[in-house]
Amino acid sequence: MQRTILVLLALLATTTAQAFSLNLDKLTNIIGKTQDLKGVDAQGEVEIGKGVAANLLGAAPLMQDDNLQAYVNRVGWWLVRHTERNDLDWRFGVLDTDSLNAFAAPGGYIFITRGLLMNLRNESELAGVLAHEIAHVLRRHHLAAIQKNAQTGIIADLASMAVESSQYGSLAEKAIATSTELYARGLDKSDEYEADRMGVVIAARAGYDPYGLPSVLHTLDGMNSQDAGLSLMFKTHPTPQSRLQLLDAAMSGKLDQLNQHNQVTDRFSGFVGGSARP
Amino acid sequence: MIEITSLRKWAVLLMLSALPNLLQAAEAGRVLVTSDLKEQPYLDAKTIANLPVGTFLEVLQRQGGWMRVKSATDEGWLKMTAIKLGAVDTSVAKTGDNLSTLVNLATTGRSGSSGVTVTTGVRGLGQEELRDAEPDPEAVKHLDRFTSAKSEAAAFAAKANLQSRTLDYLDATSSSASNNGLFKRN
Repeated sequence: MQRTILVLLALLATTTAQAFSLNLDKLTNIIGKTQDLKGVDAQGEVEIGKGVAANLLGAAPLMQDDNLQAYVNRVGWWLVRHTERNDLDWRFGVLDTDSLNAFAAPGGYIFITRGLLMNLRNESELAGVLAHEIAHVLRRHHLAAIQKNAQTGIIADLASMAVESSQYGSLAEKAIATSTELYARGLDKSDEYEADRMGVVIAARAGYDPYGLPSVLHTLDGMNSQDAGLSLMFKTHPTPQSRLQLLDAAMSGKLDQLNQHNQVTDRFSGFVGGSARP
Repeated sequence: MIEITSLRKWAVLLMLSALPNLLQAAEAGRVLVTSDLKEQPYLDAKTIANLPVGTFLEVLQRQGGWMRVKSATDEGWLKMTAIKLGAVDTSVAKTGDNLSTLVNLATTGRSGSSGVTVTTGVRGLGQEELRDAEPDPEAVKHLDRFTSAKSEAAAFAAKANLQSRTLDYLDATSSSASNNGLFKRN
Protein backbone atom coordinates (compact mmCIF):
# COMPACT_ATOMS: atom_id res chain seq x y z
CA MET A 1 0.00 0.00 0.00
CA GLN A 2 2.80 2.40 0.87
CA ARG A 3 4.46 1.78 -2.43
CA THR A 4 1.22 2.43 -4.21
CA ILE A 5 0.78 5.74 -2.51
CA LEU A 6 4.29 6.70 -3.53
CA VAL A 7 3.51 5.81 -7.13
CA LEU A 8 0.33 7.84 -6.95
CA LEU A 9 2.14 10.82 -5.47
CA ALA A 10 4.76 10.62 -8.18
CA LEU A 11 2.01 10.55 -10.73
CA LEU A 12 0.33 13.54 -9.22
CA ALA A 13 3.57 15.51 -9.12
CA THR A 14 4.02 15.21 -12.84
CA THR A 15 0.57 16.46 -13.78
CA THR A 16 -0.42 20.03 -14.60
CA ALA A 17 -2.22 22.19 -12.06
CA GLN A 18 -5.57 21.81 -13.78
CA ALA A 19 -5.29 18.09 -14.16
CA PHE A 20 -4.04 17.90 -10.64
CA SER A 21 -7.30 18.94 -9.03
CA LEU A 22 -9.23 16.66 -11.38
CA ASN A 23 -7.07 13.65 -10.60
CA LEU A 24 -7.08 14.35 -6.92
CA ASP A 25 -10.84 13.96 -6.87
CA LYS A 26 -10.61 10.74 -8.78
CA LEU A 27 -7.87 9.41 -6.60
CA THR A 28 -9.70 10.20 -3.41
CA ASN A 29 -12.69 8.41 -4.80
CA ILE A 30 -10.74 5.39 -5.96
CA ILE A 31 -8.82 5.04 -2.74
CA GLY A 32 -12.12 5.26 -0.91
CA LYS A 33 -13.54 2.54 -3.07
CA THR A 34 -10.55 0.31 -2.50
CA GLN A 35 -11.13 0.60 1.18
CA ASP A 36 -14.84 -0.10 0.63
CA LEU A 37 -13.86 -3.33 -1.02
CA LYS A 38 -12.13 -4.45 2.14
CA GLY A 39 -15.37 -4.31 4.06
CA VAL A 40 -17.93 -4.84 1.33
CA ASP A 41 -21.49 -4.29 2.54
CA ALA A 42 -24.44 -6.46 1.56
CA GLN A 43 -25.22 -4.31 -1.47
CA GLY A 44 -21.63 -4.44 -2.66
CA GLU A 45 -21.65 -8.18 -2.21
CA VAL A 46 -24.73 -8.48 -4.42
CA GLU A 47 -23.14 -6.22 -7.06
CA ILE A 48 -20.01 -8.36 -7.17
CA GLY A 49 -22.16 -11.51 -7.14
CA LYS A 50 -24.18 -10.25 -10.09
CA GLY A 51 -21.00 -9.74 -12.07
CA VAL A 52 -19.64 -13.15 -11.13
CA ALA A 53 -22.96 -14.74 -12.08
CA ALA A 54 -22.77 -12.99 -15.46
CA ASN A 55 -19.32 -14.51 -15.96
CA LEU A 56 -20.53 -18.00 -15.07
CA LEU A 57 -23.58 -17.65 -17.32
CA GLY A 58 -21.26 -16.48 -20.09
CA ALA A 59 -19.34 -19.73 -19.72
CA ALA A 60 -22.46 -21.91 -19.67
CA PRO A 61 -26.01 -20.74 -20.45
CA LEU A 62 -29.11 -21.42 -18.40
CA MET A 63 -31.15 -24.45 -19.36
CA GLN A 64 -34.22 -23.46 -21.33
CA ASP A 65 -36.63 -25.31 -19.08
CA ASP A 66 -38.69 -23.05 -16.83
CA ASN A 67 -40.35 -25.93 -14.97
CA LEU A 68 -37.01 -27.36 -14.00
CA GLN A 69 -35.56 -23.96 -13.10
CA ALA A 70 -38.60 -23.20 -10.93
CA TYR A 71 -38.29 -26.59 -9.23
CA VAL A 72 -34.63 -26.02 -8.33
CA ASN A 73 -35.50 -22.53 -7.08
CA ARG A 74 -38.19 -23.94 -4.76
CA VAL A 75 -35.83 -26.52 -3.30
CA GLY A 76 -33.25 -23.77 -2.91
CA TRP A 77 -35.61 -21.35 -1.20
CA TRP A 78 -36.86 -24.03 1.18
CA LEU A 79 -33.25 -24.66 2.20
CA VAL A 80 -32.45 -20.96 2.53
CA ARG A 81 -35.29 -20.52 5.02
CA HIS A 82 -33.25 -22.67 7.37
CA THR A 83 -30.19 -20.45 7.27
CA GLU A 84 -29.03 -17.20 8.84
CA ARG A 85 -29.13 -15.23 5.56
CA ASN A 86 -32.67 -15.70 4.32
CA ASP A 87 -32.86 -11.93 3.75
CA LEU A 88 -30.70 -12.17 0.61
CA ASP A 89 -32.35 -12.27 -2.81
CA TRP A 90 -31.28 -15.81 -3.58
CA ARG A 91 -31.27 -16.97 -7.20
CA PHE A 92 -30.87 -20.54 -8.37
CA GLY A 93 -30.14 -21.76 -11.86
CA VAL A 94 -29.41 -24.92 -13.84
CA LEU A 95 -26.51 -24.46 -16.28
CA ASP A 96 -26.78 -26.18 -19.63
CA THR A 97 -23.56 -28.16 -19.73
CA ASP A 98 -22.61 -31.81 -19.57
CA SER A 99 -19.91 -31.12 -16.99
CA LEU A 100 -20.68 -32.08 -13.41
CA ASN A 101 -20.38 -29.13 -11.08
CA ALA A 102 -22.10 -26.57 -8.91
CA PHE A 103 -21.20 -22.95 -8.13
CA ALA A 104 -21.96 -20.21 -5.68
CA ALA A 105 -21.46 -16.50 -6.24
CA PRO A 106 -21.55 -13.79 -3.57
CA GLY A 107 -24.92 -12.32 -2.72
CA GLY A 108 -26.84 -15.57 -3.16
CA TYR A 109 -26.37 -16.83 -6.74
CA ILE A 110 -26.35 -20.64 -6.83
CA PHE A 111 -25.86 -22.80 -9.91
CA ILE A 112 -25.89 -26.53 -10.59
CA THR A 113 -25.00 -28.00 -13.97
CA ARG A 114 -27.33 -30.23 -15.92
CA GLY A 115 -24.58 -32.87 -15.94
CA LEU A 116 -24.57 -33.06 -12.16
CA LEU A 117 -28.34 -32.79 -11.82
CA MET A 118 -28.85 -35.74 -14.18
CA ASN A 119 -26.51 -37.84 -12.08
CA LEU A 120 -28.46 -37.33 -8.87
CA ARG A 121 -30.99 -39.84 -7.57
CA ASN A 122 -33.41 -37.81 -5.50
CA GLU A 123 -34.25 -34.43 -4.04
CA SER A 124 -32.22 -34.99 -0.87
CA GLU A 125 -29.10 -35.28 -3.05
CA LEU A 126 -30.04 -32.07 -4.88
CA ALA A 127 -30.68 -30.42 -1.50
CA GLY A 128 -27.25 -31.54 -0.32
CA VAL A 129 -25.51 -30.01 -3.34
CA LEU A 130 -27.45 -26.74 -3.16
CA ALA A 131 -26.96 -26.49 0.61
CA HIS A 132 -23.18 -26.90 0.17
CA GLU A 133 -23.20 -23.96 -2.28
CA ILE A 134 -25.53 -21.95 -0.02
CA ALA A 135 -23.01 -22.45 2.78
CA HIS A 136 -20.28 -20.81 0.65
CA VAL A 137 -22.48 -17.71 0.45
CA LEU A 138 -23.37 -17.82 4.16
CA ARG A 139 -19.68 -17.84 5.04
CA ARG A 140 -18.76 -15.40 2.21
CA HIS A 141 -16.00 -17.74 1.04
CA HIS A 142 -15.85 -16.48 -2.55
CA LEU A 143 -16.25 -12.85 -1.56
CA ALA A 144 -13.28 -13.06 0.78
CA ALA A 145 -11.15 -14.75 -1.87
CA ILE A 146 -12.22 -12.28 -4.57
CA GLN A 147 -11.42 -9.33 -2.31
CA LYS A 148 -8.04 -10.81 -1.51
CA ASN A 149 -7.23 -11.40 -5.21
CA ALA A 150 -8.64 -8.11 -6.39
CA GLN A 151 -6.77 -5.91 -3.98
CA THR A 152 -3.43 -6.87 -5.45
CA GLY A 153 -4.58 -6.15 -8.97
CA ILE A 154 -6.49 -3.01 -8.12
CA ILE A 155 -3.65 -1.43 -6.25
CA ALA A 156 -1.34 -2.11 -9.15
CA ASP A 157 -3.81 -0.44 -11.51
CA LEU A 158 -4.64 2.56 -9.38
CA ALA A 159 -2.16 4.88 -11.03
CA SER A 160 -3.36 4.20 -14.55
CA MET A 161 -6.97 4.39 -13.43
CA ALA A 162 -6.40 7.85 -12.03
CA VAL A 163 -5.67 9.23 -15.48
CA GLU A 164 -7.79 6.88 -17.52
CA SER A 165 -11.33 8.09 -17.13
CA SER A 166 -12.80 5.15 -19.04
CA GLN A 167 -11.71 2.87 -16.23
CA TYR A 168 -12.82 5.23 -13.54
CA GLY A 169 -15.20 3.67 -11.12
CA SER A 170 -14.69 0.14 -12.39
CA LEU A 171 -13.22 -1.33 -9.24
CA ALA A 172 -16.08 -3.75 -8.79
CA GLU A 173 -15.56 -4.77 -12.41
CA LYS A 174 -11.93 -5.40 -11.66
CA ALA A 175 -12.92 -7.57 -8.73
CA ILE A 176 -15.38 -9.45 -10.89
CA ALA A 177 -12.84 -9.96 -13.66
CA THR A 178 -10.38 -11.56 -11.27
CA SER A 179 -13.13 -13.86 -10.00
CA THR A 180 -12.97 -15.94 -13.17
CA GLU A 181 -9.54 -17.10 -12.13
CA LEU A 182 -10.85 -18.00 -8.69
CA TYR A 183 -13.56 -20.24 -10.15
CA ALA A 184 -11.00 -21.90 -12.41
CA ARG A 185 -8.65 -22.49 -9.49
CA GLY A 186 -11.01 -23.14 -6.59
CA LEU A 187 -11.32 -22.13 -2.96
CA ASP A 188 -9.17 -23.30 -0.08
CA LYS A 189 -9.84 -26.90 0.91
CA SER A 190 -10.89 -25.82 4.37
CA ASP A 191 -13.68 -23.71 2.82
CA GLU A 192 -14.95 -26.77 0.95
CA TYR A 193 -14.91 -28.97 4.04
CA GLU A 194 -16.73 -26.30 6.03
CA ALA A 195 -19.39 -25.95 3.31
CA ASP A 196 -19.83 -29.75 3.39
CA ARG A 197 -20.40 -29.76 7.15
CA MET A 198 -22.82 -26.83 6.97
CA GLY A 199 -24.58 -28.23 3.90
CA VAL A 200 -25.63 -31.49 5.53
CA VAL A 201 -27.03 -29.58 8.53
CA ILE A 202 -29.02 -27.17 6.34
CA ALA A 203 -30.50 -30.11 4.40
CA ALA A 204 -31.34 -31.88 7.66
CA ARG A 205 -32.96 -28.74 9.09
CA ALA A 206 -35.14 -28.62 5.97
CA GLY A 207 -36.33 -32.18 6.67
CA TYR A 208 -34.25 -34.07 4.10
CA ASP A 209 -32.16 -37.17 4.62
CA PRO A 210 -28.89 -35.49 5.66
CA TYR A 211 -26.92 -38.11 3.72
CA GLY A 212 -27.88 -36.60 0.36
CA LEU A 213 -24.56 -34.77 0.02
CA PRO A 214 -22.43 -37.72 1.22
CA SER A 215 -24.31 -39.87 -1.26
CA VAL A 216 -23.40 -37.50 -4.11
CA LEU A 217 -19.75 -37.51 -3.01
CA HIS A 218 -19.90 -41.29 -2.89
CA THR A 219 -21.24 -41.35 -6.44
CA LEU A 220 -18.54 -38.96 -7.65
CA ASP A 221 -15.90 -41.09 -5.96
CA GLY A 222 -17.11 -44.09 -7.96
CA MET A 223 -16.88 -42.26 -11.27
CA ASN A 224 -13.92 -42.22 -13.58
CA SER A 225 -11.77 -39.27 -12.50
CA GLN A 226 -10.43 -39.03 -16.09
CA ASP A 227 -13.89 -38.19 -17.36
CA ALA A 228 -13.76 -34.76 -19.03
CA GLY A 229 -17.03 -33.81 -17.39
CA LEU A 230 -15.45 -34.12 -13.96
CA SER A 231 -12.17 -32.37 -14.66
CA LEU A 232 -13.01 -28.87 -13.36
CA MET A 233 -14.73 -30.12 -10.23
CA PHE A 234 -11.88 -32.50 -9.41
CA LYS A 235 -9.32 -29.75 -10.03
CA THR A 236 -11.06 -27.26 -7.78
CA HIS A 237 -12.13 -29.48 -4.88
CA PRO A 238 -10.52 -31.94 -2.48
CA THR A 239 -11.11 -35.54 -3.58
CA PRO A 240 -14.66 -36.83 -3.03
CA GLN A 241 -13.11 -39.62 -0.96
CA SER A 242 -11.50 -37.25 1.53
CA ARG A 243 -14.60 -35.06 1.69
CA LEU A 244 -16.78 -38.09 2.31
CA GLN A 245 -14.54 -39.40 5.07
CA LEU A 246 -14.33 -36.08 6.92
CA LEU A 247 -18.05 -35.51 6.53
CA ASP A 248 -18.93 -38.99 7.73
CA ALA A 249 -16.75 -38.48 10.80
CA ALA A 250 -18.35 -35.10 11.55
CA MET A 251 -21.89 -36.48 11.12
CA SER A 252 -21.27 -39.61 13.15
CA GLY A 253 -23.06 -39.63 16.49
CA LYS A 254 -25.12 -36.59 15.46
CA LEU A 255 -26.87 -36.53 12.11
CA ASP A 256 -26.84 -40.32 11.82
CA GLN A 257 -28.98 -40.45 14.96
CA LEU A 258 -31.81 -38.37 13.51
CA ASN A 259 -33.48 -41.31 11.79
CA GLN A 260 -34.49 -38.90 9.06
CA HIS A 261 -34.79 -40.62 5.70
CA ASN A 262 -36.96 -38.40 3.52
CA GLN A 263 -35.20 -38.52 0.14
CA VAL A 264 -38.13 -37.28 -2.01
CA THR A 265 -37.41 -39.49 -4.97
CA ASP A 266 -40.68 -39.37 -6.92
CA ARG A 267 -40.94 -35.60 -7.20
CA PHE A 268 -37.29 -35.38 -8.24
CA SER A 269 -37.76 -38.00 -10.95
CA GLY A 270 -40.85 -36.19 -12.18
CA PHE A 271 -38.98 -32.94 -12.74
CA VAL A 272 -35.49 -34.06 -13.60
CA GLY A 273 -36.17 -37.32 -15.38
CA GLY A 274 -38.45 -35.58 -17.86
CA SER A 275 -35.83 -32.94 -18.58
CA ALA A 276 -33.02 -35.25 -19.50
CA ARG A 277 -32.30 -34.53 -23.12
CA PRO A 278 -31.02 -36.80 -25.84
CA MET B 1 -47.14 -61.87 -40.34
CA ILE B 2 -49.03 -59.05 -38.69
CA GLU B 3 -49.01 -60.99 -35.48
CA ILE B 4 -45.28 -61.48 -35.59
CA THR B 5 -44.74 -57.77 -36.20
CA SER B 6 -46.92 -56.81 -33.28
CA LEU B 7 -45.19 -59.39 -31.13
CA ARG B 8 -41.89 -57.82 -32.02
CA LYS B 9 -43.28 -54.44 -31.16
CA TRP B 10 -44.34 -55.77 -27.80
CA ALA B 11 -40.96 -57.29 -27.21
CA VAL B 12 -39.23 -54.01 -28.04
CA LEU B 13 -41.63 -52.07 -25.84
CA LEU B 14 -41.07 -54.48 -22.98
CA MET B 15 -37.32 -54.23 -23.35
CA LEU B 16 -37.43 -50.44 -23.45
CA SER B 17 -39.67 -50.13 -20.43
CA ALA B 18 -37.52 -52.55 -18.48
CA LEU B 19 -34.28 -50.82 -19.42
CA PRO B 20 -34.18 -48.17 -16.69
CA ASN B 21 -35.04 -50.78 -14.10
CA LEU B 22 -32.35 -53.12 -15.34
CA LEU B 23 -29.81 -50.33 -15.21
CA GLN B 24 -30.99 -49.27 -11.79
CA ALA B 25 -30.67 -52.82 -10.52
CA ALA B 26 -27.22 -53.10 -12.02
CA GLU B 27 -25.68 -50.42 -9.78
CA ALA B 28 -22.60 -52.20 -8.61
CA GLY B 29 -19.75 -51.71 -6.23
CA ARG B 30 -16.94 -53.36 -4.33
CA VAL B 31 -16.06 -53.62 -0.68
CA LEU B 32 -13.47 -50.91 0.01
CA VAL B 33 -12.48 -51.92 3.54
CA THR B 34 -13.13 -55.29 5.15
CA SER B 35 -16.49 -54.89 6.82
CA ASP B 36 -19.22 -56.66 8.72
CA LEU B 37 -22.40 -57.07 6.74
CA LYS B 38 -25.25 -56.08 9.07
CA GLU B 39 -28.79 -57.34 9.27
CA GLN B 40 -30.05 -53.78 9.90
CA PRO B 41 -28.58 -50.34 9.08
CA TYR B 42 -27.06 -49.89 12.56
CA LEU B 43 -23.56 -50.48 13.88
CA ASP B 44 -24.83 -52.68 16.74
CA ALA B 45 -27.10 -54.76 14.51
CA LYS B 46 -26.45 -58.48 14.11
CA THR B 47 -23.52 -59.34 11.81
CA ILE B 48 -24.42 -61.60 8.91
CA ALA B 49 -20.98 -62.04 7.39
CA ASN B 50 -17.55 -60.47 7.15
CA LEU B 51 -16.88 -59.20 3.64
CA PRO B 52 -13.26 -58.99 2.49
CA VAL B 53 -11.89 -56.12 0.39
CA GLY B 54 -12.89 -56.35 -3.25
CA THR B 55 -16.07 -58.37 -2.74
CA PHE B 56 -18.44 -57.53 -5.59
CA LEU B 57 -21.74 -56.05 -4.52
CA GLU B 58 -25.01 -55.09 -6.00
CA VAL B 59 -26.54 -51.98 -4.42
CA LEU B 60 -30.23 -52.50 -3.63
CA GLN B 61 -31.18 -49.56 -1.44
CA ARG B 62 -29.85 -46.47 0.33
CA GLN B 63 -30.82 -45.20 3.72
CA GLY B 64 -28.92 -42.50 5.54
CA GLY B 65 -25.24 -43.44 5.51
CA TRP B 66 -26.05 -47.09 4.81
CA MET B 67 -26.57 -49.22 1.74
CA ARG B 68 -28.45 -52.48 1.45
CA VAL B 69 -26.27 -54.69 -0.73
CA LYS B 70 -26.15 -58.17 -2.13
CA SER B 71 -22.97 -60.20 -2.50
CA ALA B 72 -22.78 -63.56 -4.24
CA THR B 73 -23.88 -65.26 -1.04
CA ASP B 74 -25.39 -62.72 1.36
CA GLU B 75 -27.65 -59.73 1.59
CA GLY B 76 -27.53 -57.03 4.24
CA TRP B 77 -26.40 -53.51 5.16
CA LEU B 78 -22.98 -51.86 4.83
CA LYS B 79 -21.85 -48.33 5.60
CA MET B 80 -21.63 -46.20 2.46
CA THR B 81 -18.01 -45.43 3.26
CA ALA B 82 -17.15 -49.14 3.13
CA ILE B 83 -18.21 -49.35 -0.52
CA LYS B 84 -16.61 -48.12 -3.72
CA LEU B 85 -19.18 -47.72 -6.47
CA GLY B 86 -18.53 -48.88 -10.03
CA ALA B 87 -17.66 -52.44 -10.94
CA VAL B 88 -15.45 -51.58 -13.90
CA ASP B 89 -11.77 -50.88 -13.42
CA THR B 90 -11.76 -47.15 -14.09
CA SER B 91 -8.35 -47.27 -15.71
CA VAL B 92 -9.93 -49.14 -18.62
CA ALA B 93 -12.49 -46.45 -19.31
CA LYS B 94 -10.09 -43.68 -20.21
CA THR B 95 -11.33 -42.98 -23.69
CA GLY B 96 -13.85 -40.37 -24.74
CA ASP B 97 -16.33 -38.61 -22.58
CA ASN B 98 -19.27 -40.46 -24.08
CA LEU B 99 -17.79 -43.88 -23.63
CA SER B 100 -16.98 -43.36 -19.97
CA THR B 101 -20.44 -41.89 -19.48
CA LEU B 102 -21.82 -45.05 -21.01
CA VAL B 103 -19.62 -47.17 -18.79
CA ASN B 104 -20.77 -45.24 -15.75
CA LEU B 105 -24.34 -45.53 -16.87
CA ALA B 106 -24.06 -49.23 -17.49
CA THR B 107 -22.28 -49.98 -14.26
CA THR B 108 -24.08 -47.69 -11.87
CA GLY B 109 -27.35 -46.82 -13.52
CA ARG B 110 -26.97 -43.18 -12.65
CA SER B 111 -29.42 -42.10 -15.18
CA GLY B 112 -32.35 -40.26 -13.72
CA SER B 113 -35.71 -41.90 -14.19
CA SER B 114 -35.65 -41.57 -17.95
CA GLY B 115 -32.42 -43.50 -18.29
CA VAL B 116 -30.92 -40.79 -20.47
CA THR B 117 -27.69 -39.03 -19.57
CA VAL B 118 -25.63 -38.88 -22.71
CA THR B 119 -26.01 -35.55 -24.41
CA THR B 120 -24.21 -33.99 -27.31
CA GLY B 121 -23.76 -30.60 -28.86
CA VAL B 122 -23.19 -28.62 -25.67
CA ARG B 123 -19.65 -27.85 -24.70
CA GLY B 124 -18.31 -28.67 -21.31
CA LEU B 125 -17.48 -26.20 -18.60
CA GLY B 126 -13.79 -26.27 -17.79
CA GLN B 127 -11.04 -23.84 -16.85
CA GLU B 128 -10.74 -22.59 -20.43
CA GLU B 129 -14.43 -21.90 -20.80
CA LEU B 130 -14.41 -19.98 -17.53
CA ARG B 131 -11.39 -17.89 -18.50
CA ASP B 132 -12.66 -17.19 -22.02
CA ALA B 133 -16.23 -16.42 -20.99
CA GLU B 134 -17.90 -13.22 -22.18
CA PRO B 135 -20.11 -11.99 -19.30
CA ASP B 136 -23.82 -12.38 -19.96
CA PRO B 137 -25.63 -9.91 -17.68
CA GLU B 138 -28.93 -10.48 -19.52
CA ALA B 139 -28.90 -14.12 -18.46
CA VAL B 140 -28.59 -13.02 -14.84
CA LYS B 141 -31.84 -11.09 -15.22
CA HIS B 142 -33.57 -14.24 -16.44
CA LEU B 143 -33.09 -15.70 -12.98
CA ASP B 144 -35.61 -13.15 -11.69
CA ARG B 145 -38.38 -15.12 -13.39
CA PHE B 146 -38.33 -17.68 -10.59
CA THR B 147 -38.48 -15.42 -7.55
CA SER B 148 -42.01 -16.62 -6.72
CA ALA B 149 -40.26 -19.73 -5.42
CA LYS B 150 -39.63 -17.80 -2.22
CA SER B 151 -43.32 -17.65 -1.32
CA GLU B 152 -44.03 -21.12 -2.72
CA ALA B 153 -41.34 -22.88 -0.72
CA ALA B 154 -43.37 -23.78 2.37
CA ALA B 155 -46.27 -25.36 0.47
CA PHE B 156 -43.78 -27.06 -1.80
CA ALA B 157 -42.02 -28.60 1.21
CA ALA B 158 -45.28 -29.66 2.85
CA LYS B 159 -46.25 -31.59 -0.29
CA ALA B 160 -43.23 -33.81 0.20
CA ASN B 161 -43.77 -33.98 3.95
CA LEU B 162 -40.55 -32.12 4.64
CA GLN B 163 -40.57 -30.92 8.22
CA SER B 164 -38.27 -28.27 9.63
CA ARG B 165 -36.15 -29.00 12.63
CA THR B 166 -33.63 -27.11 14.70
CA LEU B 167 -30.04 -28.31 14.50
CA ASP B 168 -26.68 -26.76 15.25
CA TYR B 169 -23.90 -26.72 12.69
CA LEU B 170 -21.31 -29.46 13.06
CA ASP B 171 -17.78 -29.02 14.33
CA ALA B 172 -14.93 -30.51 12.40
CA THR B 173 -14.22 -33.83 14.06
CA SER B 174 -11.69 -35.09 11.59
CA SER B 175 -8.65 -37.16 12.43
CA SER B 176 -6.54 -34.05 11.92
CA ALA B 177 -8.66 -32.26 14.49
CA SER B 178 -8.05 -34.98 17.02
CA ASN B 179 -4.34 -34.84 16.21
CA ASN B 180 -4.41 -31.16 17.03
CA GLY B 181 -6.03 -32.06 20.30
CA LEU B 182 -3.18 -34.41 21.10
CA PHE B 183 -0.62 -31.76 20.28
CA LYS B 184 -2.33 -29.33 22.57
CA ARG B 185 -2.24 -31.78 25.45
CA ASN B 186 1.43 -32.42 24.87
